[in-house]
Amino acid sequence: MRSTVLAILLVVAGTAWAAPAFDLARLMQLLAERPSSEAPYVERKYSALLSEPVVSSGTLAFRRPDVVEKNMEKPRRESFRIAGQELVFTRNGKAKRLALSSEPLLAAFAASLRGVLSGDAALLGEHYRLALTGTEPDWKLEMTPVDEEITRYVERIVVSGRAGRVAQIEVREASGDRSVLTVN
Amino acid sequence: MAWPRAAARYALALLLFAALGLFSARLLRIEADFSAFLPPSATPEERLLVAQLRDGLVARLMLVALDGGDEKTLARASRALAERLGHDPAFDYAANGGAGQFAAQGEVLMRHRYVLGAEVAPQRFTATALRAALEENLAQMASASGLLTRGTLARDPTGEFAAMLRRLEPAAAPARRQGVWFSADGTRAFLIAQTRAPGFDSEGQAAAMARVRSTLAEVAPQVQATLSGPGVFAAESRRLIRSDAMRLGMISTGVILVLLAFVYRSPLAVALVLTPTAFGLLAGVLVVQALFGSVHAITLGFAATLIGESVDYPSYILLNTQPGETARAAARRVGRTLMLAVLTTVASAMALALSSFQGLAQLGVLTMVGVVVAGLTSHRMIPWLLGERVLDFPRLRVPASAALAAARWPRAVAFVATAGSIAALVALHPDWWERDLAGISPVPAAMRAQDASLRREMGAPEVSVFLASRGSSESTALEAAEAMLPALERWQGEGLIRSFDSPARYLPAPATQAARLRALPDATTLEANLREALKGLAFRPDAFQPFVRDVAAARTSPPLTRAAYAGTPLGTKLNAQVLELDGQWLVLTSLGGVADTARVRGALAALPGSHTQLVDLKQISADMLDGFRREALRQSALGALLIVALLVVGLRSLRRAARVVAPVAAALPLTVALLVAMGQRMGVFHLVALLLVLGIGLNYALFFERPPADEAERSRTRLALALCSTSTVVTFGCLALSATPVLRAIGGTVAIGAVLSLVLAALWARSR
Repeated sequence: MRSTVLAILLVVAGTAWAAPAFDLARLMQLLAERPSSEAPYVERKYSALLSEPVVSSGTLAFRRPDVVEKNMEKPRRESFRIAGQELVFTRNGKAKRLALSSEPLLAAFAASLRGVLSGDAALLGEHYRLALTGTEPDWKLEMTPVDEEITRYVERIVVSGRAGRVAQIEVREASGDRSVLTVN
Repeated sequence: MAWPRAAARYALALLLFAALGLFSARLLRIEADFSAFLPPSATPEERLLVAQLRDGLVARLMLVALDGGDEKTLARASRALAERLGHDPAFDYAANGGAGQFAAQGEVLMRHRYVLGAEVAPQRFTATALRAALEENLAQMASASGLLTRGTLARDPTGEFAAMLRRLEPAAAPARRQGVWFSADGTRAFLIAQTRAPGFDSEGQAAAMARVRSTLAEVAPQVQATLSGPGVFAAESRRLIRSDAMRLGMISTGVILVLLAFVYRSPLAVALVLTPTAFGLLAGVLVVQALFGSVHAITLGFAATLIGESVDYPSYILLNTQPGETARAAARRVGRTLMLAVLTTVASAMALALSSFQGLAQLGVLTMVGVVVAGLTSHRMIPWLLGERVLDFPRLRVPASAALAAARWPRAVAFVATAGSIAALVALHPDWWERDLAGISPVPAAMRAQDASLRREMGAPEVSVFLASRGSSESTALEAAEAMLPALERWQGEGLIRSFDSPARYLPAPATQAARLRALPDATTLEANLREALKGLAFRPDAFQPFVRDVAAARTSPPLTRAAYAGTPLGTKLNAQVLELDGQWLVLTSLGGVADTARVRGALAALPGSHTQLVDLKQISADMLDGFRREALRQSALGALLIVALLVVGLRSLRRAARVVAPVAAALPLTVALLVAMGQRMGVFHLVALLLVLGIGLNYALFFERPPADEAERSRTRLALALCSTSTVVTFGCLALSATPVLRAIGGTVAIGAVLSLVLAALWARSR
């Protein structure tokens, strides 16, 4: 009896020793180690109103410490840039500046991008309940909004990736619509 | 028949007093509507002003600022408070800037979007136009900003609802944090609550304030609230005046009782001295109640001040008794002078009684009745009560400063000062009159400043300029207001006005609504156009069925009326801005940020066939106060003439009458000049106080001037005058220490005026 327990313990300890456990802290560490990046993306929007998804594309950039830029090029040019405590939305050459603190939805949206791209667990935890599944080479992070105000619009956000690289961001809206952004 | 025994006489007097007191306690209806103290409103504009001041939107707006917590805590408190107050019967609504706060109102706007939309026209629903709208929507689908509008896309692809919300967005709103209104620095959360109670209803407002505080204490005990707004002012000023008057009244009563006790050394005498004022006040209140149907709370407060003069009457008699003499004998001796003292006060109060301010008229009547009854009580009842009893008290000697009286220079100084004051007042006239209604407000300046800064930060309306569009019916008035919309938009573009808030935007005239509905295609046409527009687009063919259904429903729905907005903030607004006045309908469009009223007036005059007028509440209130000033001056002149006539007849000598009038005639301008020099402007309250100065000043002069029998009587008169003037100065000097502008104005004016009257009477009215 006693030896069995000991054997199990040894096996568990052995696996733990062999490979560092993949948990949220490890994922955040990996994400945080990534340098600034800029990559093309394709986003597909699925909706009950649409017979086929609307596809848009452009580039998604992250510059340390906390600047996120999404430049949509197709079907038309439009961009937003999250920097400091502000989101600047530009279309038709007109910029609209919004303080992140002004709307909870805006703050939560900015936190989801910034938190994931910079590996900031504290920031993510402020707005979402986090559930990590998968392994280091193929992980999936489910983020469910904490604030009731947000759940009226967003049901959950699912981010997946390989090690320190974010590959896909899926946003499921409360209405049943969803968008899937794939980073190349 | 023998006199009833003394005890029976006192019992009878007490019984009479109790009966009168009980009677008035049962009958009296005290009213607190401050507008009784506003100038009478003769023109429609003035009636509009009074209506706005009493019940207008702005008058019922309560500004709430929350602090004492971090951003999250304050935002949570703001949400909870708005939610609770929204369901509170004391409030129409409470807004905090939160999204989705007024779901019912949003539903009304959504349901009626096709009669509300200025862009609704036949060409908006053609296949081409729909195609353009759908393409835009498709692009929006990809955009990050589409999340919020997507909920209504299937019902409203042409975007009427969003356009409506953009139009209704206020020009100036506070910054937003955590989704609710905040100060720019993020330390205070803001709410606006619309009370049900009218702004002037200080009790209703106090109850509403208490509701805010108690609700906040339940939902967020650590958060503090600052409340402001016209209603808060009404409630707070009432509380301040009440507590100040109470505290200072108690102090001065205490001092005067000590003074009376020191002079008379007899509780009976002290009680007797207070009797005439009590009877006078009761009788006056009853007469006002009978004539006006109610007594205004402020009248009551001021009347106690005005007939305060009558506290002096018994002293003029009692202190004049020689050792061993009954009061009856002294009353006979000073009777004529006392009668003149009473009648001159009646004459000056007549000026008030004839005023077209209801509050002042009440005050005048109360004073007239009060002093006559007090005079009779002093002259008849007190001697009757005392009967053969002789009051024994030490005749304190008040030294006459013979040297001062003999010297010529003090008279010369007084004369020069008076002439200088009159010249200065004439030169500066009319700058020293209060021309701003806010200036006669009893609210301390610090509170007004706090309100102004809060209002600025919140972008809360400070309505003083608006357009009044007239019509014989609600719909024609709305049409007139609607006709102004293009011009208003142009003026806004030109910077003539910063913003405007027209009810015609959310309640279009019935004809306009009908025209917009006619622009909607029937279901078959719309479906055909939509099919055409959807060709080749990624939308599902049946995606916009809700849109087709809504348009069909709109075509047959009854017109949008004010009733549809019942219980929403816009409903409250409409009730205040669409109103019937004197059988005419008025639609009020408030204008914000009007830099130059004259230019707007000019632009308005240039519009052909307009049924709209510019109403400038500040200008109207200044005009009203000017009118009041003219009326007050005219009536005071009348009162003065009457007083002079009375004195000439009563004293049977022009010379003697002049000697009595001169000190007061000099004391009044000197007092005004002193107050103006101290930076005050003369308002209604000062005027009331000056009338009291006139009354007591004439009394001093009359008694100084009365030819005495001997040096003993001269000394007794000096004692009476010393006692009376000291008690007046103590009472009103106390009031002058108050933090409340009304009480300070009255207190300061009377205290200064009484001292000046006494000194001048001693210098000029002395009989030789």
